[in-house]
Amino acid sequence: MPSSEWVELNFGPQHPSMHGVLRLKAKLDGEIVKEIEPVIGYLHRNAEKICEMTYFNDNLIYFDRMDYVGAMNMEVGYLEAAEKLLDISISERVKWIRVIMAELSRIAAHLVWAGAYGLDLGMLTPFFHCFIEREKLLTIFTEVSGSRQEVNYMCVGGVYQDITEKAIAEIEDFVREFPKRLKDIFNMLMKNDIFLSRTKGIGILDKETAISYGVTGPMLRASGVEYDVRKAEPYLVYDQVNFDIPVSYKGDNLARVLVRFEEMRQSLKIVEQAIKKIPDGPYFNPKAKKSLMIRMRGEGDVYARTESSKGEFGVYIVGDGGVKPYRVRVRSPTLRNLSVLPELAKDVMIADMIAISGTLDLVFGEIDR
Amino acid sequence: MNILLRLQELFSPLGHLASYILAYIFESLFLVIFVTISLIVMIYVFRKYMARIQQRIGPNRVGKFGLLQLIADALKLVGKENILPKNRDDLPYKLAPAIVFVSLVLAFTILPYGDFFYLGSFTVTHSEVTIVLLFGIIAIMPIGEVLAGVSSANKYALLGALRAVAKDVSFEIPMMLSVLAIVMMASARTPSSLSLESILSSEFLPYGILEPIGLFVFFISMVARASYTPFDLGESDSELVSGHSTEYSGMRFGMFYMGMFGSIFLGSLIVSILYLGGPSGPVESSLGFIWLIIKAAILVLISFTVWLSMPRIRIDKFINFGWKYLIPIAMINLILAGIITLGWGL
Amino acid sequence: MNYTVQVIGESVGKDGRKIIKVTKENFLDLMKDLKNQGFDHLSLITGVDRKDFMEVVYHLHSMKTNEYVVVKVETRDYKVPSVAGLWNSANWDEREQYDLLGIIFEGHPNLKRLFLPENWVGHPLRKNYDMKKTQYINMDEEGNDYATFDERGGW
Repeated sequence: MPSSEWVELNFGPQHPSMHGVLRLKAKLDGEIVKEIEPVIGYLHRNAEKICEMTYFNDNLIYFDRMDYVGAMNMEVGYLEAAEKLLDISISERVKWIRVIMAELSRIAAHLVWAGAYGLDLGMLTPFFHCFIEREKLLTIFTEVSGSRQEVNYMCVGGVYQDITEKAIAEIEDFVREFPKRLKDIFNMLMKNDIFLSRTKGIGILDKETAISYGVTGPMLRASGVEYDVRKAEPYLVYDQVNFDIPVSYKGDNLARVLVRFEEMRQSLKIVEQAIKKIPDGPYFNPKAKKSLMIRMRGEGDVYARTESSKGEFGVYIVGDGGVKPYRVRVRSPTLRNLSVLPELAKDVMIADMIAISGTLDLVFGEIDR
Repeated sequence: MNILLRLQELFSPLGHLASYILAYIFESLFLVIFVTISLIVMIYVFRKYMARIQQRIGPNRVGKFGLLQLIADALKLVGKENILPKNRDDLPYKLAPAIVFVSLVLAFTILPYGDFFYLGSFTVTHSEVTIVLLFGIIAIMPIGEVLAGVSSANKYALLGALRAVAKDVSFEIPMMLSVLAIVMMASARTPSSLSLESILSSEFLPYGILEPIGLFVFFISMVARASYTPFDLGESDSELVSGHSTEYSGMRFGMFYMGMFGSIFLGSLIVSILYLGGPSGPVESSLGFIWLIIKAAILVLISFTVWLSMPRIRIDKFINFGWKYLIPIAMINLILAGIITLGWGL
Repeated sequence: MNYTVQVIGESVGKDGRKIIKVTKENFLDLMKDLKNQGFDHLSLITGVDRKDFMEVVYHLHSMKTNEYVVVKVETRDYKVPSVAGLWNSANWDEREQYDLLGIIFEGHPNLKRLFLPENWVGHPLRKNYDMKKTQYINMDEEGNDYATFDERGGW
């Protein structure tokens, strides 16, 4: 059929399954998607420019609002770069606290994804079960930081307040109860033939394409590349905990689903170890605490990469010796993951296009920045 | 003795014709009220049931246990502004929700409900060919959906309408084939085998026991027709926003919504009448209506469970399922029914 | 790693990553060379506005050997050869840098703005970008965004 007879249809920016404000310009031949072109930028607020105008410590709140479903991963990513640039060391205790929080955030982010993926396929029930579990995590975040989602818990030189006994008890409860609940959610999806038929063998992403498009995180690991920044370039104390990287060689939707579920189990394993190993010590480096008039200054350029729930989250900060960063550049993993969508969703049905875009785990706070 | 005749007796001082007309009007009014109330109850039960499955509480603010929630929602829908798309095809656009809802209510007038104490049966239409009437009316409902999709000048709605057509074409056939099997079997025992009432009165075992394959095929077709989640292709909300009802708001949308729940209820009633013995219960009594409602309610709950635990099937696999599996199975069922009928004839 | 291309200098950055500085003329040859040596993952492209020249920084990573290298190239006319033919991820990265910094990547297959509307005036991440001029965004009949200075022309 000639391309002039294709129907052009906009999915989004306001659409029930576009996970925010993604707009997909699709050319349809009946039910078959012939071409799609993602259009982004509807949530663009230029966080990089805002970061140039703010002090090093204050930038953190803009990072919270990037991956808003797993905010502490973003904080860890920014602080990895900022602390190197400002030459501020952090104590062992802070490192362990950050690992715990980053892994709990990863679970929280994956739970949102799992629920939303059920919704994408028309399955309403797992969504609520996922959010009930996530609510427990948000309660823990509230206990340590005072707020639920955009926690703003960490700061240059440590964390704002020490982790409390109550929070540790809550985390221990969560670690004890979560595996069973996770299994329930897993079974809800995996023991369903229709779910398997919607995911198995659909949206196959091969290794070379994935690497070339800069795809990272669970998507890359589902395509058979064993690349996890936590292992490749261990930051914080990831070299002192014992965990595995789930890898699948199929590269289809199902592989991505399985990898993410296994990642939640591994994160839980890390939290379990970290809770036992967490040492005593100061929760804040007083060197970072300057009075209001004297601010921290940084010079040089630093790139730090961390493994967020979506992939390799990198922050590149250039300092010119001033109190504000000269240039901040954020490597958004989801942006690269999204850029591979036109390759994946070629000559597939509309329903498959939705199923594929669901496995990319898009969060628009991070893509548009 | 059914309600119609009792009403006619009541109005008989007004003359023969007038009393019949009045009786029909009141009876129809009864039926509309019955349908509306049962829909409201159903939607309430659905929301509570869904909430329990999803570990929530469900409606609990308006009235005791949220019993008045549905009334509040209905008032909200009525009070809402009707937003009309600019390029709509006006008449079909406005007609479509009415077609869906009216044909739904019409279908309810035909079903044999069984006795309810001294009141008798609710059934309005008595005819020798009620099966033909019933499935004719059922076939009208999708026309409303298609009209809605085509007339609202929206690509999502159009795609939804196309899907609705594809779905109906591939699932009416196995549905009718399995009904045919029942008619065939009933014809061995009753001369008027196209009438639902005589099918019911002539059966010695529920047809669901005699032909479980037919029950299976028919129930699946009814699920597909009511279009809820494994088969809600016409309005798959994560793909086509809301399918054929994308451009509808206010009470017009409410009619589609009620049409969907009504289809579930209607489907459950038809399945229990044709396959599960309808109004006949384990003990002989004048409680046929209650038995029917209990059977239908169980089927409705099964439908809700399916709805809430399944993802949506892809359109091509769905059509394949209809043509490649259901129709051959329905054919086999037909042959089996023929063999059983022959056995009776001997 | 070895490369035959002439470079300006090598150093190690504050974060311990190897930095290679190269002139614009030798840049593309160096990138091809690095790609052939197994740097299959282009992590990040960053433009830094140094006021009188533009510095473009490329972060390269090898999935197999887990090596990391940073390539820096300077340009005064805001033009750099595109590497979109070598790594597919460069496509959107370069579009983003063109959008926000106005670096023109020569040879890019589809150099359009990524985030902002096509007729947006100026490049926001430049140091001399005038932040006082407010631009309003609106949508045309086709559903594409456009920017305007008219206060009532958008939202």
